[in-house]
Amino acid sequence: MKRYISKNQKRSDALSKVTGEATYTHDIVVPGMLFAKVLRSPHAHARIRKLDVSKAAALPGVKAVATWENTPRKLFNSTGMMAFLYPGAKPAMDEYIFDQMVRHVGDEVAAVAATSEEIAAEAIRLIEVEYEPLPALLDPLDALEEDAILIHGDIQDNNIASGTHTIRQGDFEKGWAECDVTYEARVKLPIQKQAQLETHAAVAEYRNGELTVWSPTQSVHGTKYILAHIFDMSAGNIRVMNPPYVGGAFGVRVGFGGKAEGIVSCLSMLSGYPVKLVLTREEDFTVSDTRHSGYVDIKLGAKADGRFHAFGMNAYLNTGAYGTHGIEVAACLGNMATSTYRVPNIFFEGASIYTNIVPAGAFRGFGNPQAVFAVETAVDALAKKLDIDPVELRLKNRIRVNDEWPLSYPCSSTALDECIKQAAAKIGWSEKRGRAGQGRFRRGVGLGAGTHFCGYDELAHVSLELETDGSLSVFTGNSEIGTGHITSLQQITAESFGCEIEQVNIKYGDTRGTPYDVGCHSTRSVFAIGNAISMAAGELKEQVLQYAAGAMGCSAEALSIESGRVRGGPEEMDLGQLARDGHIHKTHFSAEGKSKEAVTVTPWEAHAAEVEVDTLTGMVKVLKVVAAHDVGVAINPQLVEGQIEGGVVIGIGYATREEMSINEKGEVYNSSYHTYMLPTFADTPEIEPVIVESYEPRGPYGAKGVGECGLVPTAAAIAAAVEDATGVRFLEIPLTPQRVLDGLQAACVTCQAEKEGGTIDVE
Amino acid sequence: MGEQYVLKVNGKEYALRTGGGQMLADVLRDELHLIGTKKGCCQGECGACTVILDGKAVNSCMIPVAKAVGADILTIEGLQTEDGLHPLQKAFIEEGAVQCGFCTPGMIMSAKALLDEEANPTSAQIQEALSGNICRCTGYVKIEKAVQKASEELRKEG
Repeated sequence: MKRYISKNQKRSDALSKVTGEATYTHDIVVPGMLFAKVLRSPHAHARIRKLDVSKAAALPGVKAVATWENTPRKLFNSTGMMAFLYPGAKPAMDEYIFDQMVRHVGDEVAAVAATSEEIAAEAIRLIEVEYEPLPALLDPLDALEEDAILIHGDIQDNNIASGTHTIRQGDFEKGWAECDVTYEARVKLPIQKQAQLETHAAVAEYRNGELTVWSPTQSVHGTKYILAHIFDMSAGNIRVMNPPYVGGAFGVRVGFGGKAEGIVSCLSMLSGYPVKLVLTREEDFTVSDTRHSGYVDIKLGAKADGRFHAFGMNAYLNTGAYGTHGIEVAACLGNMATSTYRVPNIFFEGASIYTNIVPAGAFRGFGNPQAVFAVETAVDALAKKLDIDPVELRLKNRIRVNDEWPLSYPCSSTALDECIKQAAAKIGWSEKRGRAGQGRFRRGVGLGAGTHFCGYDELAHVSLELETDGSLSVFTGNSEIGTGHITSLQQITAESFGCEIEQVNIKYGDTRGTPYDVGCHSTRSVFAIGNAISMAAGELKEQVLQYAAGAMGCSAEALSIESGRVRGGPEEMDLGQLARDGHIHKTHFSAEGKSKEAVTVTPWEAHAAEVEVDTLTGMVKVLKVVAAHDVGVAINPQLVEGQIEGGVVIGIGYATREEMSINEKGEVYNSSYHTYMLPTFADTPEIEPVIVESYEPRGPYGAKGVGECGLVPTAAAIAAAVEDATGVRFLEIPLTPQRVLDGLQAACVTCQAEKEGGTIDVE
Repeated sequence: MGEQYVLKVNGKEYALRTGGGQMLADVLRDELHLIGTKKGCCQGECGACTVILDGKAVNSCMIPVAKAVGADILTIEGLQTEDGLHPLQKAFIEEGAVQCGFCTPGMIMSAKALLDEEANPTSAQIQEALSGNICRCTGYVKIEKAVQKASEELRKEG
């Protein structure tokens, strides 16, 4: 019987968050701190001919002005990809903090540190810049043309960021020719923005040759390494920390966030003062990484009995001005596209392509929502051609444990069948599918399925220490970005060691005193850190029991740790007493957990959606989403539900409304919550999270991860439901009223509805 | 040095002397160090800075401080009493309505203003009252449950 596993333990950080005590980077105040503002490019692509900062520097209160002329000229990648990348890939090293070239509207030109934000803003206006505007590329397909201008011509002779990712299994060409039914299409995907509540920010203090940075990064150790590289500093003299809370992340802070960490570090070094930068919401929208937009071409073919036989895909992702996570997102897109279904013959080629728009990088899902939208479009199309129910076709072709697939790790567990069945049953598939009717308002149901990955073969490393009061401190370089996994890790620690959960303190979000960790991303933390903790707690327990057995003169086998006390011997021993006693007998109880064996494991998910489409206005109303997730064992079901629900709403946004629009000058139209139409309370339909428990043999207590999965198949399910309602399959999202209306009119759905007497209500 | 003025926050009076053009959110955070009031957009669009001003939930980033003089201002820090957490705070913890927490103070203040007006709100009323508070983490589901739970608790307490 487990005491702490599968329990809705309340979050350890909830109390400070509901009372307003919780501190974030925005709240950090350091004595003598200056405030920074950034001058940004108004051009999508230009060379800076002349930069005159003399008036700005002369303004009273201004302590430093940073430009490309007085800051490091060392190329870097502003994400953790610089430090950790899957084997064989290389990061795009294409950024400077400031450069003589600007490559997108909003690119950094200069920054000022002054005694107040107002003075810094005034100084920014006094900087004189002469630009030589250059032609700009906005579309990745244009950037692939042979005569396209080069966006990083100084470092490479094409516009592909750090190479192309290819996957091959079997013989695609041969397989394609052998198919009885085939489908091919190009889908077009939008730019989605993380839009986390706390805008990017950082505070840096450079003093006595040491650099301290407070940041909302998802990877304190990754950020530390980037800073060490840029400033040519010894990494040991850099400390990066979360304060400790992070106001949302969703992938946009795996490393720097909007380069804030680099900018404040430069300004602190130049001025000699601590410096704080808080980006405005507009800056956050227009200069920090987004989800990759672009085109995905898919070919899927099957035998007459419905078995998939050939799969081909080309992905052309728009990575904007800088590569950041580009190559990994393209690789993940391919990996996820080819690992949900059994297909003997596979071809994939994908790349992230430079253009002169806001950079794209990591966003929860990391290429997977794009992959699933394309794959599931094709699966539904084949179901139609084969006259097989889409649910049946998915169940027939789904990957099974230890199936051959193109990935480097095995499929060690899957309950995707159960996810699909439960999602379908709970949306009312058999009663509702194919019953749209002919009126103005038409309802339909649809389903999408997918997988993801927890971790990527990387090491997880924690250290544990028994404190002198018997409490247990866990040191991890991971971050708490809002997901609550730190509480799940406390549960795993208490369960593994045998103490009370109140005796477990997890110290995280600080490079000082924690072992290297790649951070909180990749749906890895509960799985990877949890494994490392289990190992370390087991070893620590062994140390304690051996020592206690010696002290009491009994056998260690008879002893156990229960409720924070050593029991089973001649007397009960208190852990604190043991720890203190140990010290004077030259014994210190500490252990390290290195999850060397940990590999990548696969969570699974299926979403079913019901929608109502107004065929006269094109409005798609999502009525309900059932989100069934195989998470292995849910360490904390309430937290898992929270991850699913939050993910689903981002998925609904991706499907129906969220889209950053770039005009012909490369400017972002929607640079605020309002113009971006972020889903609000009133836009949230009924969401039914379903936890489908499997047991992952390689996870801590059978657990896998869930973080990114909540939004992976939502858009595919909604597009399928819209097709069920209207007969029209949309190959481009989001399904905004105009896009839907255009599609329905093209297919003459709207004109039919008009004939039947419907009218458009204009209010 | 600017004129002296008095701001009444969480039942306490603060004598302040600052420039007149500041927004309430900045005074609360920078002068009074009440950092529970968050700033997510500074455009009145996200609700993270919501405080209660004379009984109404307002975006404190859009209220010039001069307009708040003389008003009763309640921030998240003033919600707890000697008896402990407010039922909304308890319910947010119990129902798992907190994730990153950046929207939480504003969300709770909007919910408090609603429950002060309407002791037994419908789901639609909760959604409407909180539609100015953006949350990117939770999908709002557990927040609604928390507000419902708190309303039940408050009605029990009478």
